[in-house]
Amino acid sequence: MGILISCKDASRLISQMQDGQLPFGRRMAVRLHLLFCDACTVFLRQLRFLRATMQRYTRD
Amino acid sequence: MTESDFATRINGHRAYLLRVAVLQLRDPALAEDVVQDTLIAALQGEAGFSGRSSVKTWLTGILKHKIVDAIRKKSREPAMSTLDEESRIEDFDALFDDTGHWESPSSDWGDPEAQLGRTQFFDIVEFCLEKLPPNTARVFMMREVMELDGSEICKELSITSTNLWVILYRARVALRLCLEEHWFAARSRTA
Repeated sequence: MGILISCKDASRLISQMQDGQLPFGRRMAVRLHLLFCDACTVFLRQLRFLRATMQRYTRD
Repeated sequence: MTESDFATRINGHRAYLLRVAVLQLRDPALAEDVVQDTLIAALQGEAGFSGRSSVKTWLTGILKHKIVDAIRKKSREPAMSTLDEESRIEDFDALFDDTGHWESPSSDWGDPEAQLGRTQFFDIVEFCLEKLPPNTARVFMMREVMELDGSEICKELSITSTNLWVILYRARVALRLCLEEHWFAARSRTA
């Protein structure tokens, strides 16, 4: 993977970002990808939504 | 508060605790045991309840520990063997076209708060969690409900960090598709 990544790669890295920090190069590649890609930006928002959902599930 | 008031309040959360434990453990008998242990520990530990968090949050905290203990025991049994099958990433290749673009990008779900106030939404969330393969659900819940770090989960289940990322990716993508289909799309049809 270089700095230009596909949605397929980006979506995996976006998921991985929810579980810890990515290495610098990967992080930059995701950031760059998100600047131009609405579908992956939506995917990122959905993963954050899922996290908020699961947190709310066990709290009042 | 009298002792029986406290016991009644705690018992009121029993059904919820059992749902969480079953989703996580996929073993109704074991889930019953874990919830029973949780309620006993809660009654014995009433003094530890500060009242700063809600009873539900406090009970969930106790339940998380009991579930981790149960998983620790269970992970030594062969039932975890399907983890290998559940950590294959190729299954999701169909989501993307040959050039690696999304085959069908999904809609923006908007502000979580708008959905999270609805009880039916959580019924759909539970339905979607039940549809996940057992170990996938277990790992996802360890991460997102019990809020364990990746490294702790890898240690408890003896899996690699790559396995973990694949399983979590798999869980998230599957939940996203399920919620899209059974909640968001259904709502936009009726709206």
